[in-house]
Amino acid sequence: MINLQNVSFSYNNEKVLSNISLHIDKGEFTAIIGSNGAGKSTLCRIMNGLLKPSSGTVTVNGMDTRTTKSSILARHIGFLFQNPDRQICKNTVGEEIRFSLDIAFTDKSMIEKRLFETLSLFDFDADSNPFHLSRGERQQVALASIIAAEPEILILDEPTTGLDYVECMKIMSIIKKLNDKGITVIMVCHDMEIVLDFAQRILVLAEGRLIADGETREIFKMEEILRQASLLPPQIARLAARFGFDDVFYVDEMTDIVLKRIKNRRKRTG
Amino acid sequence: MKGFFDYVPGSSYLHRLNPLTKLLLALMICIAAFISANHLFLVMLIVLNLGIGAQAGIFTRSVMLLKGLLKLCIIIFLLQVLFIRDGNVLVKLPLNIFITDGGISSAFMVVFRLVTATMPLALMLSITQINDLSNVLVTKLRIPYPYAFALTTAIRFIPVFANEMTGIIEAQTSRGVQLDTRNIFKKIKLVLPLCVPLLITSVRKIEGSAISAELRGFHLRTKNSCYKKYAVNINDICVIMISVVIVGSAILVNSIF
Amino acid sequence: MIHIENLSFRYKNGRKPALDNISLTIHEGEFLGIIGGSGAGKTTLSYAINGVIPHHFPGDFYGSVKVANTDTFDTTPGRLSLKIGSVLQDIDSQMVSSVVEDEILYGLENFSVPGDEIEERLLSALEAVGILPLRYRAIDSLSGGQKQKVAIAAIIALRPKVLILDEPTSELDPKSSEQIFDLLKELNEKYGITIVVIEQKIMLLSEYVKKLAVMDKGRIILSGNVRDVLGHSSELEEIGIHCPRVVSLSNSLRDRGADVGGVWINLDEAEAGIRRLIYD
Repeated sequence: MINLQNVSFSYNNEKVLSNISLHIDKGEFTAIIGSNGAGKSTLCRIMNGLLKPSSGTVTVNGMDTRTTKSSILARHIGFLFQNPDRQICKNTVGEEIRFSLDIAFTDKSMIEKRLFETLSLFDFDADSNPFHLSRGERQQVALASIIAAEPEILILDEPTTGLDYVECMKIMSIIKKLNDKGITVIMVCHDMEIVLDFAQRILVLAEGRLIADGETREIFKMEEILRQASLLPPQIARLAARFGFDDVFYVDEMTDIVLKRIKNRRKRTG
Repeated sequence: MKGFFDYVPGSSYLHRLNPLTKLLLALMICIAAFISANHLFLVMLIVLNLGIGAQAGIFTRSVMLLKGLLKLCIIIFLLQVLFIRDGNVLVKLPLNIFITDGGISSAFMVVFRLVTATMPLALMLSITQINDLSNVLVTKLRIPYPYAFALTTAIRFIPVFANEMTGIIEAQTSRGVQLDTRNIFKKIKLVLPLCVPLLITSVRKIEGSAISAELRGFHLRTKNSCYKKYAVNINDICVIMISVVIVGSAILVNSIF
Repeated sequence: MIHIENLSFRYKNGRKPALDNISLTIHEGEFLGIIGGSGAGKTTLSYAINGVIPHHFPGDFYGSVKVANTDTFDTTPGRLSLKIGSVLQDIDSQMVSSVVEDEILYGLENFSVPGDEIEERLLSALEAVGILPLRYRAIDSLSGGQKQKVAIAAIIALRPKVLILDEPTSELDPKSSEQIFDLLKELNEKYGITIVVIEQKIMLLSEYVKKLAVMDKGRIILSGNVRDVLGHSSELEEIGIHCPRVVSLSNSLRDRGADVGGVWINLDEAEAGIRRLIYD
């Protein structure tokens, strides 16, 4: 799917990414984490060909991003930005989704079919004005118009920033649904609870370097790596670490282990 | 992309001048450019501009600025050459077009003037903090503060909007809009709808700026509020005199040749 | 310090009231967090406290808001800002200058602070938020966290008694968010500034603030000590506010028969609670 080999990227003589190699397979749900300025957004833009690597190669489905037009790459990769207002430019939700469909498909019946499917997936009213909707709803409109075009890969750059919990869960549950259907998801996210709940794999960036790449639970155990990236594990994992409990990340897991310890103590004292 | 108007910090001789002096120098070079009808003098003014850039440590930017103006210059040059028919015919082209020595001379004149008149203002903004400029406009030139604030906000927002536009273009390119097309008409047709998101964000940002200023006593500001003092010292007087000399020599050169 | 009585407000052209019969008292020296879903009226409430409503945005205004005994209706947002400093949501658009120093000077100049005092206030404001080395930097060249600190310094230079911040960490990573809250805590404890902060990140709030007010559909539905408010976790869940996971943990342990005492609201409390359960 996406393959990066020794990719570096410099901007104004400053190295933003240095020597990153990684491979993302079909159907994966990968989170990119790191502090502000670690190079997360740049990495996303390198992956979809908005930025071309200063050195190294990036391929998407075998196509080199340096030689492929971004409009062709866009057929394979959908990209949701943090700010939906940079994307939405039509006066109704229906037109906004149709705008993406017109670019992606030529077949009229296909366009109508996808429009209908997308509107019902999100439960949208096609005639509502996106500018009268809330920030969270506009983010959903932006997501809808991207996935309407049926990309195989979805890159999300902080999709939940500025959203409240309900809005956040709505976006994430749709993304989860798409991932279950086999769409590859790559997501930049600051909220470690969301990363824990949704991502299978984590890439940790610090100062432009990929300092860790692995399965979600494994990465969240690497306190030293996370510290280097100025990050903290999810709350329950931090709490568990204070007691030396290994591999505990969720409320249920923590509840079980605490109850077991209480029982043990009673046995010993009783 | 770095803009041509944002401030480049520094402590050069020119940086340290009174903002008004810098403004005056820039304006005087512009005026001299419009007065002068002498090619050599105009070329010298361009060199002077580059010299100013070099002194202020922004020589690369000055050259970039020249390069940026080049495209426009070529278009204007061609138009002038093809449509001005004074003087002797040098070349005859089909479709009844002539190239004359007068046409070439006046084309050079227009292009030189354009360059000499554009550069000083851009250079001046590169080495003057916009707040300082606003402060002297209010304290020394007695321009009402709301106007000065509007001016500085407009200039301050140029990079913000440029950023926003870059973001919008990224978002649209990512969804497959072919903004990388070479067909200029197609491009305009594609870019126009993008003004909607830009406009909406701009209105929101300007509103935020207005509230923020209001919450920090915008309406209470008087022309004496400014804390920094902008003294005029010997350096400024020198530069002011040089500015006058530049305009003077433009007139002088005109009357001699 | 802040006294809100039966406040209702509807924006001109607004269909529903943005604020619906709000009464809230914030005492001197408090550190209050306001949470709620988007569209709950949090920003509108902050505008009502700093006077932007009704002076900047017209609409139907009922009830009263008093800040340090001044009715916001009878003064201007500019005058009020000497008592209450506001940090707005959008970091970039609230800056009025291109250099850090000028940004701090702006308010001081407008309020005609005497010249000999300005330098001292400028320095102490930069010092208090820990950005003294950034004094001459261009604002464009700063990171989001640094810009947020500049915005806070520009306000505290005016020495307000109250500071109100609208989602100051929304664009920041976890580390910078904590730094901002550390700073707010210090301003609250060391300088006695009353702090009101609107924030979506409830986990962060529960580590720092002492009191919480929960908004939903223009009303305050819960307010009080963090513990009391988070004790209503199922009601909060209903209006879309997700409590920190240690709260769920203490609920879950309690439901399965463990004697957790009260609700645990942050990591330290959870740690102490579990130690008591498994070691004592």
